[in-house]
Amino acid sequence: MANVITICGSLRKGSYNRIVMNALPGLAPDGMQIKEAPPIGEFPLYNADIQNSTGFPAPVQALADAIRAADGLIFNTPEYNFGVPAPLKNAIDWVSRLPNQPFAGKPVALQSASPGPVGGARVQYDLRRSMVFLDAQTLNKPEIFIGNCAQRIDEKTGKITDEQTIGFIKQQLIAFAKFIAAHGGRS
Amino acid sequence: MSDNQLNVVVVCGSLRKASYNASLARTLPALAPPGMAVKAAPGWETMPVYNHDLHADGKFPAEVTAWGDSIRAADGVIIVSPEYNWTIPGGLKNAIDWVSRFKEVPFKEKPVALQSCAGGALGGARMQYHLRQCLTSIDALIFGKPEIFVSFSAKKFDEKTVELTDQPTIDIVKQQLVGFEKFIRRVNGRH
Repeated sequence: MANVITICGSLRKGSYNRIVMNALPGLAPDGMQIKEAPPIGEFPLYNADIQNSTGFPAPVQALADAIRAADGLIFNTPEYNFGVPAPLKNAIDWVSRLPNQPFAGKPVALQSASPGPVGGARVQYDLRRSMVFLDAQTLNKPEIFIGNCAQRIDEKTGKITDEQTIGFIKQQLIAFAKFIAAHGGRS
Repeated sequence: MSDNQLNVVVVCGSLRKASYNASLARTLPALAPPGMAVKAAPGWETMPVYNHDLHADGKFPAEVTAWGDSIRAADGVIIVSPEYNWTIPGGLKNAIDWVSRFKEVPFKEKPVALQSCAGGALGGARMQYHLRQCLTSIDALIFGKPEIFVSFSAKKFDEKTVELTDQPTIDIVKQQLVGFEKFIRRVNGRH
Protein backbone atom coordinates (compact mmCIF):
# COMPACT_ATOMS: atom_id res chain seq x y z
CA MET A 1 0.00 0.00 0.00
CA ALA A 2 1.37 3.40 -0.95
CA ASN A 3 0.56 5.88 1.81
CA VAL A 4 0.25 9.35 0.37
CA ILE A 5 -0.35 12.58 2.27
CA THR A 6 -1.75 15.84 0.94
CA ILE A 7 -0.96 19.42 1.91
CA CYS A 8 -3.33 22.26 1.04
CA GLY A 9 -1.72 25.61 0.23
CA SER A 10 -4.78 27.62 1.27
CA LEU A 11 -5.98 28.04 4.82
CA ARG A 12 -9.51 29.26 4.16
CA LYS A 13 -12.33 26.85 4.90
CA GLY A 14 -14.08 27.17 1.56
CA SER A 15 -10.91 26.73 -0.52
CA TYR A 16 -11.33 25.20 -3.99
CA ASN A 17 -8.00 23.47 -3.54
CA ARG A 18 -9.19 21.98 -0.27
CA ILE A 19 -12.28 20.62 -2.07
CA VAL A 20 -10.01 18.98 -4.63
CA MET A 21 -7.75 17.63 -1.88
CA ASN A 22 -10.75 16.16 -0.06
CA ALA A 23 -11.82 14.34 -3.23
CA LEU A 24 -8.52 12.52 -3.63
CA PRO A 25 -9.02 9.62 -1.21
CA GLY A 26 -12.06 8.60 -3.23
CA LEU A 27 -10.22 8.89 -6.53
CA ALA A 28 -7.10 6.97 -5.56
CA PRO A 29 -6.26 3.77 -7.45
CA ASP A 30 -6.13 0.45 -5.66
CA GLY A 31 -2.95 0.18 -3.68
CA MET A 32 -2.88 3.87 -2.73
CA GLN A 33 -4.27 5.43 0.41
CA ILE A 34 -4.49 9.21 0.62
CA LYS A 35 -5.03 11.38 3.69
CA GLU A 36 -4.36 14.94 4.76
CA ALA A 37 -1.06 15.84 6.40
CA PRO A 38 -1.00 17.59 9.79
CA PRO A 39 -1.98 21.26 9.47
CA ILE A 40 0.31 24.15 8.53
CA GLY A 41 -1.85 27.05 9.72
CA GLU A 42 -0.28 27.39 13.17
CA PHE A 43 3.35 27.53 12.11
CA PRO A 44 5.02 30.77 13.28
CA LEU A 45 6.64 32.83 10.52
CA TYR A 46 10.06 31.32 9.93
CA ASN A 47 12.82 32.79 12.08
CA ALA A 48 16.11 30.99 12.58
CA ASP A 49 16.39 32.50 16.06
CA ILE A 50 13.35 30.43 17.14
CA GLN A 51 14.86 27.18 15.96
CA ASN A 52 18.17 28.03 17.63
CA SER A 53 16.56 28.91 20.96
CA THR A 54 13.41 26.93 21.68
CA GLY A 55 13.83 24.48 18.83
CA PHE A 56 11.48 23.45 16.06
CA PRO A 57 7.82 24.09 16.93
CA ALA A 58 5.69 21.01 17.51
CA PRO A 59 3.46 21.48 14.41
CA VAL A 60 6.63 21.62 12.28
CA GLN A 61 7.89 18.35 13.75
CA ALA A 62 4.47 16.76 13.24
CA LEU A 63 4.42 17.68 9.56
CA ALA A 64 8.01 16.56 9.06
CA ASP A 65 7.31 13.21 10.68
CA ALA A 66 4.25 12.71 8.50
CA ILE A 67 6.25 13.52 5.35
CA ARG A 68 9.00 11.13 6.41
CA ALA A 69 6.54 8.32 7.03
CA ALA A 70 4.67 8.84 3.77
CA ASP A 71 5.48 7.15 0.48
CA GLY A 72 4.45 10.24 -1.43
CA LEU A 73 3.19 13.78 -1.03
CA ILE A 74 0.64 15.77 -3.03
CA PHE A 75 0.45 19.57 -2.89
CA ASN A 76 -3.00 21.04 -3.58
CA THR A 77 -2.32 24.71 -3.94
CA PRO A 78 -3.71 27.98 -5.21
CA GLU A 79 -1.49 30.62 -6.76
CA TYR A 80 -0.96 33.88 -4.87
CA ASN A 81 0.66 36.73 -6.77
CA PHE A 82 2.13 34.49 -9.44
CA GLY A 83 3.74 32.23 -6.87
CA VAL A 84 3.54 29.94 -3.88
CA PRO A 85 1.07 31.04 -1.17
CA ALA A 86 2.80 32.26 1.95
CA PRO A 87 1.29 29.64 4.32
CA LEU A 88 2.67 26.86 2.15
CA LYS A 89 6.06 28.46 1.51
CA ASN A 90 6.46 29.18 5.22
CA ALA A 91 5.73 25.53 6.03
CA ILE A 92 8.25 24.36 3.45
CA ASP A 93 10.83 26.83 4.79
CA TRP A 94 10.45 25.41 8.32
CA VAL A 95 10.50 21.76 7.40
CA SER A 96 13.47 22.28 5.07
CA ARG A 97 15.61 23.32 8.05
CA LEU A 98 15.34 20.05 9.94
CA PRO A 99 18.35 17.79 9.97
CA ASN A 100 17.69 14.99 7.43
CA GLN A 101 15.08 17.19 5.84
CA PRO A 102 12.13 15.03 4.88
CA PHE A 103 11.65 16.16 1.28
CA ALA A 104 14.87 14.50 0.14
CA GLY A 105 14.07 11.63 -2.18
CA LYS A 106 10.33 12.03 -1.63
CA PRO A 107 7.95 11.50 -4.57
CA VAL A 108 5.82 14.64 -4.97
CA ALA A 109 2.85 15.44 -7.19
CA LEU A 110 1.32 18.86 -7.79
CA GLN A 111 -2.26 19.99 -8.34
CA SER A 112 -3.68 23.48 -8.48
CA ALA A 113 -7.10 25.02 -8.91
CA SER A 114 -7.66 28.64 -9.84
CA PRO A 115 -10.65 30.79 -10.76
CA GLY A 116 -8.58 32.18 -13.63
CA PRO A 117 -7.77 30.47 -16.89
CA VAL A 118 -4.09 29.71 -16.22
CA GLY A 119 -5.04 27.24 -13.51
CA GLY A 120 -2.05 27.77 -11.27
CA ALA A 121 0.74 27.06 -13.73
CA ARG A 122 3.03 29.70 -12.25
CA VAL A 123 2.75 28.36 -8.71
CA GLN A 124 3.51 24.85 -9.84
CA TYR A 125 6.67 25.76 -11.75
CA ASP A 126 7.79 27.76 -8.73
CA LEU A 127 7.12 24.86 -6.40
CA ARG A 128 9.05 22.54 -8.70
CA ARG A 129 12.08 24.72 -8.26
CA SER A 130 11.96 24.56 -4.46
CA MET A 131 11.48 20.80 -4.73
CA VAL A 132 14.57 20.52 -6.91
CA PHE A 133 16.60 22.32 -4.27
CA LEU A 134 15.20 20.01 -1.61
CA ASP A 135 15.99 16.97 -3.75
CA ALA A 136 12.42 15.72 -3.93
CA GLN A 137 11.26 13.70 -6.93
CA THR A 138 8.42 15.59 -8.57
CA LEU A 139 6.13 13.76 -10.98
CA ASN A 140 6.33 15.41 -14.40
CA LYS A 141 3.10 14.31 -16.06
CA PRO A 142 0.16 14.42 -16.18
CA GLU A 143 -0.04 17.97 -14.85
CA ILE A 144 -3.21 19.06 -13.07
CA PHE A 145 -4.11 22.73 -13.67
CA ILE A 146 -7.78 23.26 -12.87
CA GLY A 147 -8.49 26.59 -14.57
CA ASN A 148 -11.85 28.38 -14.33
CA CYS A 149 -12.38 26.21 -11.28
CA ALA A 150 -15.58 27.96 -10.21
CA GLN A 151 -17.24 26.24 -13.15
CA ARG A 152 -15.80 22.87 -12.24
CA ILE A 153 -16.15 22.77 -8.47
CA ASP A 154 -19.31 23.24 -6.41
CA GLU A 155 -18.45 25.29 -3.33
CA LYS A 156 -21.77 24.53 -1.67
CA THR A 157 -21.55 20.76 -1.86
CA GLY A 158 -17.77 20.69 -1.65
CA LYS A 159 -17.48 18.46 -4.71
CA ILE A 160 -15.72 18.52 -8.06
CA THR A 161 -18.53 18.55 -10.63
CA ASP A 162 -16.51 18.43 -13.85
CA GLU A 163 -16.09 14.85 -15.06
CA GLN A 164 -13.12 15.69 -17.24
CA THR A 165 -11.24 17.11 -14.25
CA ILE A 166 -12.04 14.01 -12.23
CA GLY A 167 -10.77 11.87 -15.07
CA PHE A 168 -7.47 13.78 -15.30
CA ILE A 169 -6.95 13.56 -11.55
CA LYS A 170 -7.52 9.80 -11.60
CA GLN A 171 -4.96 9.49 -14.40
CA GLN A 172 -2.40 11.50 -12.42
CA LEU A 173 -2.93 9.40 -9.32
CA ILE A 174 -2.38 6.21 -11.32
CA ALA A 175 0.81 7.69 -12.77
CA PHE A 176 1.85 8.79 -9.28
CA ALA A 177 1.38 5.27 -7.95
CA LYS A 178 3.72 3.93 -10.64
CA PHE A 179 6.16 6.77 -9.95
CA ILE A 180 6.22 5.99 -6.21
CA ALA A 181 6.81 2.32 -6.93
CA ALA A 182 9.71 3.23 -9.24
CA HIS A 183 11.33 5.85 -7.02
CA GLY A 184 10.73 4.54 -3.51
CA GLY A 185 9.31 6.69 -0.75
CA ARG A 186 10.59 6.57 2.75
CA SER A 187 13.43 8.86 3.79
CA MET B 1 15.71 68.30 3.95
CA SER B 2 14.26 69.61 0.70
CA ASP B 3 10.60 69.50 -0.24
CA ASN B 4 11.60 67.46 -3.18
CA GLN B 5 13.35 64.76 -1.15
CA LEU B 6 12.09 61.30 -1.88
CA ASN B 7 10.92 59.04 0.95
CA VAL B 8 11.85 55.40 0.49
CA VAL B 9 11.13 52.49 2.84
CA VAL B 10 13.16 49.33 3.27
CA VAL B 11 11.61 45.91 3.81
CA CYS B 12 13.78 43.08 5.12
CA GLY B 13 12.96 39.44 4.31
CA SER B 14 14.72 37.91 7.32
CA LEU B 15 13.78 37.95 11.00
CA ARG B 16 16.90 36.62 12.67
CA LYS B 17 19.01 39.07 14.67
CA ALA B 18 22.34 38.31 13.00
CA SER B 19 20.91 38.43 9.48
CA TYR B 20 23.23 39.75 6.74
CA ASN B 21 20.20 41.08 4.89
CA ALA B 22 19.03 42.98 7.96
CA SER B 23 22.50 44.41 8.37
CA LEU B 24 22.59 45.54 4.74
CA ALA B 25 19.13 47.06 5.15
CA ARG B 26 20.39 49.11 8.11
CA THR B 27 23.21 50.62 6.05
CA LEU B 28 20.92 52.04 3.41
CA PRO B 29 19.89 55.29 5.11
CA ALA B 30 23.57 56.30 5.36
CA LEU B 31 24.45 55.14 1.83
CA ALA B 32 21.53 56.87 0.14
CA PRO B 33 22.07 59.97 -2.00
CA PRO B 34 20.94 63.28 -0.43
CA GLY B 35 17.79 63.50 -2.51
CA MET B 36 16.44 60.29 -1.01
CA ALA B 37 15.58 59.64 2.65
CA VAL B 38 15.55 55.93 3.46
CA LYS B 39 14.00 54.36 6.54
CA ALA B 40 12.76 50.97 7.66
CA ALA B 41 9.15 49.99 6.92
CA PRO B 42 7.15 48.64 9.89
CA GLY B 43 7.79 44.99 10.64
CA TRP B 44 5.78 42.12 9.19
CA GLU B 45 6.62 39.49 11.77
CA THR B 46 3.37 39.71 13.75
CA MET B 47 1.12 39.38 10.72
CA PRO B 48 -0.95 36.20 10.94
CA VAL B 49 -0.32 33.59 8.26
CA TYR B 50 -2.53 34.59 5.33
CA ASN B 51 -6.05 33.18 5.41
CA HIS B 52 -8.87 34.74 3.44
CA ASP B 53 -11.31 33.89 6.23
CA LEU B 54 -9.49 36.39 8.47
CA HIS B 55 -10.56 39.33 6.29
CA ALA B 56 -13.82 38.01 4.86
CA ASP B 57 -15.60 40.74 6.83
CA GLY B 58 -13.49 43.36 5.05
CA LYS B 59 -11.33 44.15 8.09
CA PHE B 60 -7.62 43.58 7.87
CA PRO B 61 -5.23 42.99 10.80
CA ALA B 62 -3.78 46.26 12.11
CA GLU B 63 -0.19 45.39 11.29
CA VAL B 64 -1.15 44.53 7.72
CA THR B 65 -2.83 47.90 7.31
CA ALA B 66 0.18 49.67 8.85
CA TRP B 67 2.58 47.93 6.50
CA GLY B 68 0.39 48.63 3.50
CA ASP B 69 0.01 52.30 4.44
CA SER B 70 3.77 52.65 4.79
CA ILE B 71 4.35 51.16 1.32
CA ARG B 72 1.60 53.29 -0.18
CA ALA B 73 2.94 56.52 1.29
CA ALA B 74 6.49 55.85 0.17
CA ASP B 75 7.93 57.07 -3.12
CA GLY B 76 9.76 53.78 -3.47
CA VAL B 77 10.46 50.50 -1.71
CA ILE B 78 13.72 48.59 -1.36
CA ILE B 79 13.36 44.90 -0.53
CA VAL B 80 16.43 43.27 1.02
CA SER B 81 15.89 39.54 1.37
CA PRO B 82 17.58 36.18 1.70
CA GLU B 83 16.67 33.22 -0.50
CA TYR B 84 14.90 30.28 1.13
CA ASN B 85 14.65 27.09 -0.89
CA TRP B 86 15.50 28.83 -4.13
CA THR B 87 12.79 31.43 -3.76
CA ILE B 88 11.08 34.10 -1.62
CA PRO B 89 10.98 33.50 2.16
CA GLY B 90 7.49 32.56 3.30
CA GLY B 91 7.29 35.42 5.81
CA LEU B 92 8.03 38.11 3.23
CA LYS B 93 5.65 36.48 0.77
CA ASN B 94 3.04 36.51 3.54
CA ALA B 95 3.25 40.30 3.87
CA ILE B 96 2.99 40.70 0.10
CA ASP B 97 0.08 38.25 -0.12
CA TRP B 98 -1.81 40.20 2.57
CA VAL B 99 -1.47 43.67 1.05
CA SER B 100 -2.20 42.33 -2.43
CA ARG B 101 -5.76 41.79 -1.18
CA PHE B 102 -6.50 45.46 -0.51
CA LYS B 103 -8.80 47.26 -2.94
CA GLU B 104 -5.97 49.73 -3.48
CA VAL B 105 -2.91 47.50 -3.66
CA PRO B 106 -0.01 49.57 -2.28
CA PHE B 107 2.55 48.08 -4.70
CA LYS B 108 0.61 49.19 -7.77
CA GLU B 109 2.92 51.38 -9.87
CA LYS B 110 5.31 51.59 -6.93
CA PRO B 111 9.02 51.74 -7.75
CA VAL B 112 10.77 48.79 -6.13
CA ALA B 113 14.46 47.91 -5.97
CA LEU B 114 15.81 44.53 -4.87
CA GLN B 115 18.88 43.46 -2.90
CA SER B 116 19.89 40.11 -1.46
CA CYS B 117 22.71 38.60 0.60
CA ALA B 118 23.50 34.91 0.65
CA GLY B 119 26.13 32.57 1.98
CA GLY B 120 26.78 31.02 -1.39
CA ALA B 121 27.80 32.02 -4.87
CA LEU B 122 24.53 33.11 -6.42
CA GLY B 123 23.85 35.81 -3.84
CA GLY B 124 20.08 35.32 -3.79
CA ALA B 125 19.56 35.56 -7.56
CA ARG B 126 16.87 32.88 -7.73
CA MET B 127 14.85 34.65 -5.07
CA GLN B 128 15.12 38.00 -6.83
CA TYR B 129 13.87 36.67 -10.17
CA HIS B 130 10.90 35.10 -8.40
CA LEU B 131 10.25 38.30 -6.53
CA ARG B 132 10.23 40.13 -9.85
CA GLN B 133 7.62 37.67 -11.06
CA CYS B 134 5.54 38.17 -7.92
CA LEU B 135 5.83 41.96 -8.01
CA THR B 136 4.83 41.95 -11.68
CA SER B 137 1.54 40.35 -10.71
CA ILE B 138 0.80 43.33 -8.45
CA ASP B 139 1.93 45.87 -11.03
CA ALA B 140 5.01 47.23 -9.29
CA LEU B 141 7.66 49.12 -11.25
CA ILE B 142 10.80 47.13 -10.67
CA PHE B 143 14.16 48.82 -10.94
CA GLY B 144 16.68 47.11 -13.26
CA LYS B 145 20.42 47.70 -12.95
CA PRO B 146 22.66 47.56 -11.16
CA GLU B 147 21.42 44.40 -9.46
CA ILE B 148 22.62 43.72 -5.94
CA PHE B 149 23.53 40.05 -5.25
CA VAL B 150 25.85 39.86 -2.24
CA SER B 151 27.46 36.44 -2.52
CA PHE B 152 29.74 34.74 0.05
CA SER B 153 28.36 37.10 2.67
CA ALA B 154 30.43 35.67 5.52
CA LYS B 155 33.47 37.30 3.96
CA LYS B 156 31.80 40.66 3.49
CA PHE B 157 30.26 41.26 6.90
CA ASP B 158 32.13 41.48 10.20
CA GLU B 159 32.12 38.17 12.01
CA LYS B 160 31.19 39.68 15.37
CA THR B 161 29.19 42.82 14.64
CA VAL B 162 27.72 41.66 11.28
CA GLU B 163 28.46 45.10 9.89
CA LEU B 164 29.03 45.39 6.14
CA THR B 165 32.74 45.78 5.61
CA ASP B 166 33.25 44.96 1.91
CA GLN B 167 33.99 48.18 0.05
CA PRO B 168 33.05 46.95 -3.49
CA THR B 169 29.66 45.93 -2.10
CA ILE B 170 29.21 49.30 -0.43
CA ASP B 171 30.14 51.03 -3.68
CA ILE B 172 27.71 49.10 -5.86
CA VAL B 173 24.90 49.53 -3.33
CA LYS B 174 25.51 53.30 -3.44
CA GLN B 175 25.41 53.10 -7.21
CA GLN B 176 22.08 51.29 -7.13
CA LEU B 177 20.62 53.83 -4.74
CA VAL B 178 21.68 56.71 -7.02
CA GLY B 179 20.12 54.88 -9.95
CA PHE B 180 16.97 54.12 -7.96
CA GLU B 181 16.51 57.79 -7.08
CA LYS B 182 16.73 58.73 -10.76
CA PHE B 183 14.30 55.91 -11.63
CA ILE B 184 11.75 57.01 -9.05
CA ARG B 185 11.89 60.63 -10.22
CA ARG B 186 11.47 59.55 -13.83
CA VAL B 187 8.49 57.28 -13.25
CA ASN B 188 6.83 59.46 -10.62
CA GLY B 189 7.37 62.57 -12.70
CA ARG B 190 9.14 64.26 -9.79
CA HIS B 191 12.13 65.93 -11.39
